[in-house]
Amino acid sequence: MTGDTAGEAAIYARGLTKYFDSLLAVDHISFSIEQGELFGFLGPNGAGKTTTIRIFMNLTRSSEGTATVYGMDTVRDTLALKSVVGIVPEVSNVFPEITARSNLTFTGALYGMGRRESASRAVELLGMFGLEEHGGKKAGQLSLGLKRRLAIAMSMVHRPKVLFLDEPTSGLDVTASRSIREIVKRLNSEGVTFFLTTHNMEEANQLCDRIAVINRGKIIAVDTPGKLRRAASEAQSVEVTLNRRPTAVEEAGLAGIDGVTGVAEAGESYRLLTADPERTLRSLFRFLEAGDLAVSAVSTPGPTLEDVFVKLTSEEQDVGSGS
Amino acid sequence: MLEAAASEVLLKKPGLVVGARKSWAIAVKDMKIYYFKPAILIFGALFPVTIFFAFMMGRNVEAVTLFPGLIALTLFFSTTTVAPFSIPWERMTRTFERLLFAPVSLTELALGKTISSLVFGLVMSIVPLLIGVIFFGSDVAYVWALVLGIVLGNACISNLGTLVSTVGSETPQNVMLLLNLIRLPMMFISGIFIPINELPTWGRVISWFSPVSYVVDLLRRGLGFKDYFGPVTSSLMLVAFGLAMFAVSVWRMKGWNK
Ligand SMILES: Nc1ncnc2c1ncn2[C@@H]1O[C@H](COP(=O)(O)OP(=O)(O)OP(=O)(O)O)[C@@H](O)[C@H]1O
Ligand SMILES: [Mg+2]
Repeated sequence: MTGDTAGEAAIYARGLTKYFDSLLAVDHISFSIEQGELFGFLGPNGAGKTTTIRIFMNLTRSSEGTATVYGMDTVRDTLALKSVVGIVPEVSNVFPEITARSNLTFTGALYGMGRRESASRAVELLGMFGLEEHGGKKAGQLSLGLKRRLAIAMSMVHRPKVLFLDEPTSGLDVTASRSIREIVKRLNSEGVTFFLTTHNMEEANQLCDRIAVINRGKIIAVDTPGKLRRAASEAQSVEVTLNRRPTAVEEAGLAGIDGVTGVAEAGESYRLLTADPERTLRSLFRFLEAGDLAVSAVSTPGPTLEDVFVKLTSEEQDVGSGS
Repeated sequence: MLEAAASEVLLKKPGLVVGARKSWAIAVKDMKIYYFKPAILIFGALFPVTIFFAFMMGRNVEAVTLFPGLIALTLFFSTTTVAPFSIPWERMTRTFERLLFAPVSLTELALGKTISSLVFGLVMSIVPLLIGVIFFGSDVAYVWALVLGIVLGNACISNLGTLVSTVGSETPQNVMLLLNLIRLPMMFISGIFIPINELPTWGRVISWFSPVSYVVDLLRRGLGFKDYFGPVTSSLMLVAFGLAMFAVSVWRMKGWNK
């Protein structure tokens, strides 16, 4: 991994730790994100994703460790840091009493923008996020998804170089999520560095250059989506759809097939987890010939990011922490 | 090129003017949002007037002598109402964090909140003054003392509201409760109902600890009544109390990023 010193990296953390009283929310995490990278933070509820972002914005103070953006310390240089960083928080905390447009122009004013400048930026952002018709409405009257879009627009008023997005597409419909992802990709291609948290594997897979998997405050893997999937090669599988429901005995037989480490029902079909799909396939056909079950479909899907995620977070093994 | 941008930001000193504009933006936003909320109008305007007349009812004094106290009480309540409502409200709804996402220092933030309080207080305290002058023949003896009383008074006392909202808990109800627990006894040690020089010794000693006493004192001088501390002492005490309460408020806010 490059950018190993705080100075070179766009976003950098070393031994970052946060205790809430005795609760260890973030446990000595380290990572280094290059300028222009789209970095995903993937983890179950309560893993420490939001806490990590809040430490970067100095909304929460770390207990130990350092966090910097372009070498600027989150505590010591907090104002300089905030002027190049944008954040979309977990909850869309827009000001409900004022209009969507006023939310944007007020945000501009907080960054020291003049009235004209922030007004024209507001128009631009309302357009970019499909909020033109809603500019004059009180933000409190917007639907959940529209509020989300407004919150994302508000994070970009000052054209930040670094954006922290905490589950940006939660609560958005398919079209809106896609358009947000497109905006993220476009800004990223223009050099903006992203740090985004998500539960959505597909989103992480599509968007991210690298993904860190975090569980119970610890980073348990950091890699590209492709490599993460390969790392979980044991999580390959053979998926079979049978002509009828197997009996309990037959089900036990499926579990006994060569190489099978687990059986999962997946809708109509059965998923046989295996490290060696070929051996399992051969053994599967021998098993079927012996009885009167027949196959109507079979496939050998590779591990999805979800498999990787489930595997890593359930094992809780420390695969190294990012640098 | 991004490094250059970052260092450029580091070098750019946050000028006083830029900071003041951010504070003003926060104040204007709060004026738009909070000035017309019923809770603000009730606690900031209706409440002091009602209290005043409840206490003065049946007292056999000339109406004109009531005005320094009435103006001071209105000022006291109105200027300490907006921030103790807006700060806990915004913390509860988490819009307060919005202000912290941006490069706004806590000093600028607290100043914005205080300005929104004191402008409300300024407007409200002028109302009884005008009523006194127009309808009751209040005598404007020293304009400068009136201006000092109203301007310094608001600038100082509004910080009490900001301070209380950094002490109390996060819900607006609790902060309002605490605020009233502080405001009600303060009314009686500030020379609002009975002039300080008519109080017993212990009363006169305690009155030094209430900044509202100095507002009353300046207003009494301004409206041609006998004052107690004198304009110099009063003005200096208001400045000192104001700065101290402001500093403690900012210091308290620094502890919020736990
Ligand atoms: N202010 C707080 N006080 C006490 N504990 C907290 C606080 N904020 C977070 N925690 C705890 O810290 C842990 C990490 O929380 P965090 O919000 O960072 O998780 P997350 O990964 O963002 O989860 P989610 O996916 O649900 O948003 C949790 O156990 C949470 O209960
Ligand atoms: Mg979260």
